[in-house]
Amino acid sequence: MKSNSHTEQKATPIDSRLKKPLRPKKTLKELQVGDVAQIVEFSNPNDMSKKIEAMGLRRGKQVEVLQRLGRGILVKTNNSRIVITSDLAKNIEVK
Amino acid sequence: MTKSIKVAFAGNPNVGKTTLLNHIAGTNLSVGNWPGVTVEKREGYLNYKGYDIHFVDLPGIYTLEPLSADEWIACDFLVEEKPDVIVNVIETSNADRDLLLTTELLEFERPMVLAFNMTDEAAKRGIEVDAQHTTELLDIPVVKTNGRNGHGTQDLLDSIIAASEGHRVSKPVTYSERIEKSLGKIEEGSEDGKVEKHTLLKLLSESEVATEQRKELEEFYHGRIANIISDERYAYANGLHAEILKKRITSARDLTDKLDRVLLHPILGFLIFLFIMFLLFKVSFDFSTPLMNWAQNFITGFLAPVVASVLASFGARKWVLGFFSEAIVGGVGFVITFVPLIATIYLALAYLEMSGYMPRIAFLMDRFMHKLGLHGKGIIPLLLGFGCNVPAVMATRTLEYKKDKLLVMTMIPFMSCPARLVVFSFFAIIFFRHPATVIFSLYLLGIVIGLLTALFLKKTAFRGRLSHFVMELPPYRIPRVKTVMKIVWMQVKSFLTRAGTVIFAASVVVWVLLNTPPGLKNQSDSAAAYIGKAITPVFRPIGIKDWRISTSLIPAFLAREIVLSSMGTIYSAEMPQSNAKIEFWHALGSQIEDLGTAMKESVISLFSPSISSLQSENQNQDLRQVIRSSFTAASALSFMIFLLLYTSCLATVAVMAREAGNKFAIGFLGYSLVIAWLVAFVVYHVGSLV
Repeated sequence: MKSNSHTEQKATPIDSRLKKPLRPKKTLKELQVGDVAQIVEFSNPNDMSKKIEAMGLRRGKQVEVLQRLGRGILVKTNNSRIVITSDLAKNIEVK
Repeated sequence: MTKSIKVAFAGNPNVGKTTLLNHIAGTNLSVGNWPGVTVEKREGYLNYKGYDIHFVDLPGIYTLEPLSADEWIACDFLVEEKPDVIVNVIETSNADRDLLLTTELLEFERPMVLAFNMTDEAAKRGIEVDAQHTTELLDIPVVKTNGRNGHGTQDLLDSIIAASEGHRVSKPVTYSERIEKSLGKIEEGSEDGKVEKHTLLKLLSESEVATEQRKELEEFYHGRIANIISDERYAYANGLHAEILKKRITSARDLTDKLDRVLLHPILGFLIFLFIMFLLFKVSFDFSTPLMNWAQNFITGFLAPVVASVLASFGARKWVLGFFSEAIVGGVGFVITFVPLIATIYLALAYLEMSGYMPRIAFLMDRFMHKLGLHGKGIIPLLLGFGCNVPAVMATRTLEYKKDKLLVMTMIPFMSCPARLVVFSFFAIIFFRHPATVIFSLYLLGIVIGLLTALFLKKTAFRGRLSHFVMELPPYRIPRVKTVMKIVWMQVKSFLTRAGTVIFAASVVVWVLLNTPPGLKNQSDSAAAYIGKAITPVFRPIGIKDWRISTSLIPAFLAREIVLSSMGTIYSAEMPQSNAKIEFWHALGSQIEDLGTAMKESVISLFSPSISSLQSENQNQDLRQVIRSSFTAASALSFMIFLLLYTSCLATVAVMAREAGNKFAIGFLGYSLVIAWLVAFVVYHVGSLV
């Protein structure tokens, strides 16, 4: 996966839902325990994603997946640890 | 002349706002190591250097854009009530996150103090804040604090006064030129003259007066205005962070990571969770039983006869002595003997709350809960329910969606609280050979009924997709003994207060009814018996045929322990009065000796592998003998189940009404009565066959 996939597509959320991205984007949901990645973008911005960003999972931040249990994913960024469910994590694009 | 200052404590969740306030104002507000302990605004007062300071502790927020009920409370207060000074508490180690809220608070352009808290933890991670430089940059007082030992609270108080006296507001937050220009135009157009940045940004993002500026910016930045503004805020917060915090590189893995590897391990973590729950149960029982036996013996075998003989020597009348031995010793005194149990269970729960393990249970259990269509984050209120249902219902405020909130609320009252445990521990010992197993099964039954209720509602009234969640896990912290002891003491105090007020009042009422009309020969002709007999037909099918028990159930709606105090009052009237003279000093000596033995037994029993102590029971035989005559094992079990499942606690019903409306609370109360009766009915009839 190349990092430029998102710079090419400065699409609004509506557009991204209409047409399928040319290259599949990697999301936080797909990361495995031990993976380290950087947050690129929120693909479906809403009230909840704003809260997630304010909790520290925001663009440019490096995250490490510490544990996965069921639909819950435990990630660490700087000194905070956040549990996020996979249906929220799938909207967080990472590289 | 004294001057009053209204101070708001604002900050991200679990940064230690309440702990700091407890240090400063001497309050005893409850604290814990998990986000969401404070769900309502709470207050403290202090007179300091001639100032009347009124502190308001707010629920934690990540931004000023609230989603859940507790977040709304905090944001509304900051926007509407305009506190004189805002104290923004920041967890130093997480300053990069916390400074976003700081930026938003600075936009209010009000007197403000920054308190960098938990500086000791940050120092261990190689993080240090440059307070001097922060003050220079923002032109507001900046202090370093440590909530664990109270360091820096004096500085904080002085800074609050300085901020309010100097009316010093921070240097205005400045965003990029284009935005500032637009904001300038909006301000020019306003009739009020100077407008603070918070309002200007709000106008820019949603008001008609700013349509033109909004369009211009959205076109230039190719984005929505809300995102443009939040990007600006993040940029400002990041800039601030880079300026004021110094970080040395330290080894990345800390203790929390190491512990989590084990405690949150998919298999091991779950087994440890079960073990911790077992331990909690075991400690609560084994440690407290010898002490409870001692307390019972102390009250009935020492305190009561001593006071009675003193009363008699003053020539007290017969009814005074009767009132004393029945309503006071039999009712209130009886309930007080359960203090050791209450204290140990809260001790265990305090460690659970203070260590940081509790929110991890939510993460561990969501795996199973979500399969049932339930929310993992909802586990926290349920766990709190084992301590007391009232704060548990309040804790549902942290859930973002109303449906989840109501669903969790319908489960909480089935989580057995210590008040119920008190009743169970008394009955189970009389009727069953393995009381601990019976009590444990009752706890499980409560959980199962709670789950079934939620599942049923999920399939009917609260249909819909399972909601997602996001939740912060705090680092593990070793609870300070002093803090834990304070929590336990607060709980014991509230139990004793209840014993001295509502339980006492109920005992008096029951006693009076029991002796009405005056001069009765036979208790079963009293008003109390009349009332009890009137409702007995309702309870007969579940095995409760004795008026003395149905009468006890009525006042028990106020609080469950009252069932015991009422029974104690009723039955002690039937027991023969012991007129044995006791020799005061000798008896006191042997009481102290017994206490020593009991403490030793308590400690020793902790080291036995199973739950053992409840089984050797021989105290307070008289009352037990009498109660034994009114029940069979099956009817005792059905009685306990009825009391477990029916929301027999006025405080819980009241808090449910406040949080979810009268209809909901009354409806639930009705439902709990029906379900309690039905389950008790089945258990009684099946049990009678065995």
